[in-house]
Amino acid sequence: MTIRLLSAALVAGFLAAVVATGLQFALTSPLILKAEVYEEQAAKQASLASPFAGLIVPAHGGEHHEHGAAEEWQPAPGVERMAYTGLATLVGGVGYALLLGAAMLALRRQPSPEIGLAFGIAGFLCVALAPAMGLPPELPGMGSAPLGIRQAWWLMTALATAVGLYLIAVRRVPLTIAGGLALIMAPHLVGAPFVVEESRLPAALAAQFAARSLGISLVFWAVIGLAYGWAWHLFGEREAARRSHA
Amino acid sequence: MSTSATLQTATTASASESTRAIVIAALLGLGLVFMTGFAPAMALHNAAHDFRHTQNFPCH
Repeated sequence: MTIRLLSAALVAGFLAAVVATGLQFALTSPLILKAEVYEEQAAKQASLASPFAGLIVPAHGGEHHEHGAAEEWQPAPGVERMAYTGLATLVGGVGYALLLGAAMLALRRQPSPEIGLAFGIAGFLCVALAPAMGLPPELPGMGSAPLGIRQAWWLMTALATAVGLYLIAVRRVPLTIAGGLALIMAPHLVGAPFVVEESRLPAALAAQFAARSLGISLVFWAVIGLAYGWAWHLFGEREAARRSHA
Repeated sequence: MSTSATLQTATTASASESTRAIVIAALLGLGLVFMTGFAPAMALHNAAHDFRHTQNFPCH
């Protein structure tokens, strides 16, 4: 069963990564590159504006977007960077597919494309939409709160939404539904560590990126769920065929 | 009687089997998602940079 789950997750993660990587190249990577131009301009201006620039670490861009000599490793622009984006999408997709498969098995749902799609949409709500309501998808160069705080809020929101959805959709009695709704709302009532800083980045670019990012996440998760349900049956039939031959 | 006993054994066996599958898949899945979305190592961050931004992982 472990092998079947891992195999199905690999197939689902791969198919979802192929689709999502294509969408990222077409829709979001060009916006990220445009934003990096503004980010570099802002970093240069900051260093020109202050005579003590050398002593000051730019709030954002200087850390790893500038192309200094003492720079940490980063993929070369162009094909190499695209390849790493694709690789990251593959690894992330397989990771998400494994979690989706584990959740399905834990809740004793027989995987099928339909059930997979439902779980995929739940995954999208947990790790994409709910965190994005508080911390919208960001382009490089947008001001933001310290990373650790945002990661903590992101994780808390994803977890609270997952448990909340479980209480609502699986337990499904009035008390758990009320508790689930409260849990889903809690991180938003606490408030996300969202800060608005002056930025030269056009607002329209950021808005377009946020919408496209959520759209890609939805497709990513939908394909993970659908493909997982399909692949689960594929590997099940093979297992059955092997057993009947033995 | 014997049929239900067999069924029960089969259910217990598959229950422990599925527990193992759940634990392995969950740990592996969390590991992979952490690596692509959260790992602080700068090389990993830079490699997964565009993916992190698009998938709305807190970045930088």
